[in-house]
Amino acid sequence: MLDIQQLQIQLGDNQLNYHQQINSGEIVTLQGVSGVGKSSLLLCIAGFIKPVSGQISWNDTLISTLAIERRPVAMLFQENNLFEHINVLKNARLGTANIDDDAIFAAAEELQIAEQMQKMPLQLSGGQRQRVGLLRTLLRPEPLILLDEPFAELDNQTRSIAANWVNKIARAENKTVLLVTHQMEDVETLADRNWLME
Amino acid sequence: MFTKPSNIIGLFFILLISSITALAFQGLIGFSQRGADLALLEDSYFHSILLFSIKQALLSALLSTVLAWPIARAIYYYPNIFLKQTFLSLSLLCFVLPTLVLITGFVSLLGLSGFITPFLGEDWSLYGLQGILLAHVYMNLPFAVRAMHLQLQSIPDSSWILARQLKFSRWQRFRLIELPSLSANASLIFGFITILCFNSFAVVLALGGGPQSTTLEVAIYQALKYDFNIPEALTLAWSQFAIAGVFFLLLYRSSSVPWLSKDSTENIWIPNIGKATKGIYLLIYTGTFVFMLMPLLALLPGVLAANYSVDLIVDVMEALSLTLLLGVLSAVLAMLIAYCIMLPIRSAVQRRQRRLQNTLQWLANHTLIAPAMVLSVGLYILFLPLIDLDQLGIIFVLILNTLLVLPFAIQQIRARVLQYDSDYALLYQSLKLNLQQRIAIEWAYIRPVMLSTFALVLLIAMGDVAIFSIFGNDQLKTLPWLIYQYAGSYRIHEASFASAILLLVYFIILLKIERAKQHA
Repeated sequence: MLDIQQLQIQLGDNQLNYHQQINSGEIVTLQGVSGVGKSSLLLCIAGFIKPVSGQISWNDTLISTLAIERRPVAMLFQENNLFEHINVLKNARLGTANIDDDAIFAAAEELQIAEQMQKMPLQLSGGQRQRVGLLRTLLRPEPLILLDEPFAELDNQTRSIAANWVNKIARAENKTVLLVTHQMEDVETLADRNWLME
Repeated sequence: MFTKPSNIIGLFFILLISSITALAFQGLIGFSQRGADLALLEDSYFHSILLFSIKQALLSALLSTVLAWPIARAIYYYPNIFLKQTFLSLSLLCFVLPTLVLITGFVSLLGLSGFITPFLGEDWSLYGLQGILLAHVYMNLPFAVRAMHLQLQSIPDSSWILARQLKFSRWQRFRLIELPSLSANASLIFGFITILCFNSFAVVLALGGGPQSTTLEVAIYQALKYDFNIPEALTLAWSQFAIAGVFFLLLYRSSSVPWLSKDSTENIWIPNIGKATKGIYLLIYTGTFVFMLMPLLALLPGVLAANYSVDLIVDVMEALSLTLLLGVLSAVLAMLIAYCIMLPIRSAVQRRQRRLQNTLQWLANHTLIAPAMVLSVGLYILFLPLIDLDQLGIIFVLILNTLLVLPFAIQQIRARVLQYDSDYALLYQSLKLNLQQRIAIEWAYIRPVMLSTFALVLLIAMGDVAIFSIFGNDQLKTLPWLIYQYAGSYRIHEASFASAILLLVYFIILLKIERAKQHA
């Protein structure tokens, strides 16, 4: 279980407060107006933002004091998910040491990006780049997956394919997913629960 | 960021180079037993050299920056101008050219019996302020052109598309697009050139003369070499250190000047220029090209007239081998140290510890403002009673050369590694890559800059004369030192030949730099 206890984050002049429990294997979508602190929460769980107070635990182990590298977290950022100077396949392999190329290509096939794997990131469209990042994040061994607007640049059809793929992998691997989205469609396809932030 | 031990290695190197400077000053203070001669600060001699140092530095920087602007515009707005790539390579050559090669060329052109001198009137003299300005502008104008051109290149095409869509006038394009892109960097370029010229040694030594045209650096040399007046040298050295330090602090509050980066991708929306403007740009560009080529071509008659003997060839080749060996070792060391030093600086940047970042950067780069002559002489005096400097002097040449090229190495790689962190720090931390993976990915990103920077610091290290003049000996000579000896004994043809060989080697290394950039 992911246990967020009385967490406070300072964002500019605003203080954001969070208190929530999320069961292992649960997929929770995060919604709320811009600036309410959805991305900040994900960055805080991943260790990139230091909270003012409160704590985050995963399966009864306190993780909010751990270094980024030691947290059981794989995160997809809104942007800058790929190294531009190495090709897509090499990007996909990063952080997925136990996964062989066959599994990467199988996932790429499902996400309709298999033909892009030997290209450089600059040659890809925004949507293709996002799917490469998504592929890598879900294939990583970490049990806690944080996705910050993962489908923002996808058309309706690809969005549905990507969302179904996330759903399939997360359920099969019993991953706990926190997903920021503005689309109700994503909530309906994926979420066990929707966390509406105010 | 890597792990903490790597930060410690970087801090160790910063401490080491700062200690070497402190040791050098300690050597001078300990020897004189008296410290600096503060009465000198009231002396009119001191005031005149201080004023001249600042005046020539500011004028050189002003002329270089102001004149560079129309030239950079010419290459930018006229992208298919003839021999553009050669022009840019030649610009780099001018900046790193060993001063003695340049001065040999200038003397052949504009000296007492120079080719052009008869056309310049009876009042003309290469010596004094005008000669110093000419040499400084020759070396720094091309640097400024490259830096400004790169800045213009970085204007995104989308800005020009928007400008066209909004039907901007020429004035609006200038005010709203070109000026903002140049203005921040122009002051950096100006500041950087000011520091380089303020610390200029060989040019002022060769083309200056008398208290009317002497800089602090040359006055330090004269106080040490002719008068052996250590208290006076110390006062001058502290003054130089303090003034250049203030310039440097102001400069380093902003970012570094990129000028060796790869040209940006093709800009296809650059505004078209009319025929008349094209003609003006062509004139400015050709004039600059001729100005840059002439001192180099002026070496040719000397090369043809040299009296070639086996001894001459052997001497030149031996000196060249030593120059290359020392240069490569210094450059390798400087690159390694620069990379390690950047680790704690990067860490400070990521943690937004601005003050710590500035302090570390200042310490890491302080050899840019510490007078080379003071470092050399201070260490020489300190170690003379302790070790056999005739035998081990060459090691000091290596160490001091490494220290003096270090700021250039840091300056060049800094922007690239900080950019890497800015783009990817979150990503590489989030991916939990091991050290080997991190290095492999980072190396792929910084490799072109590392290679071209290596070549640049190699060229700068190979051109040294000041340090070798203190620690070198007659059995082992570098090529610049051999040129100095030939020129000093009026063997101008041999000096021209040795200069031409050095120039050729520089040219070959430069081609490598340009190739590395093309593959970036």
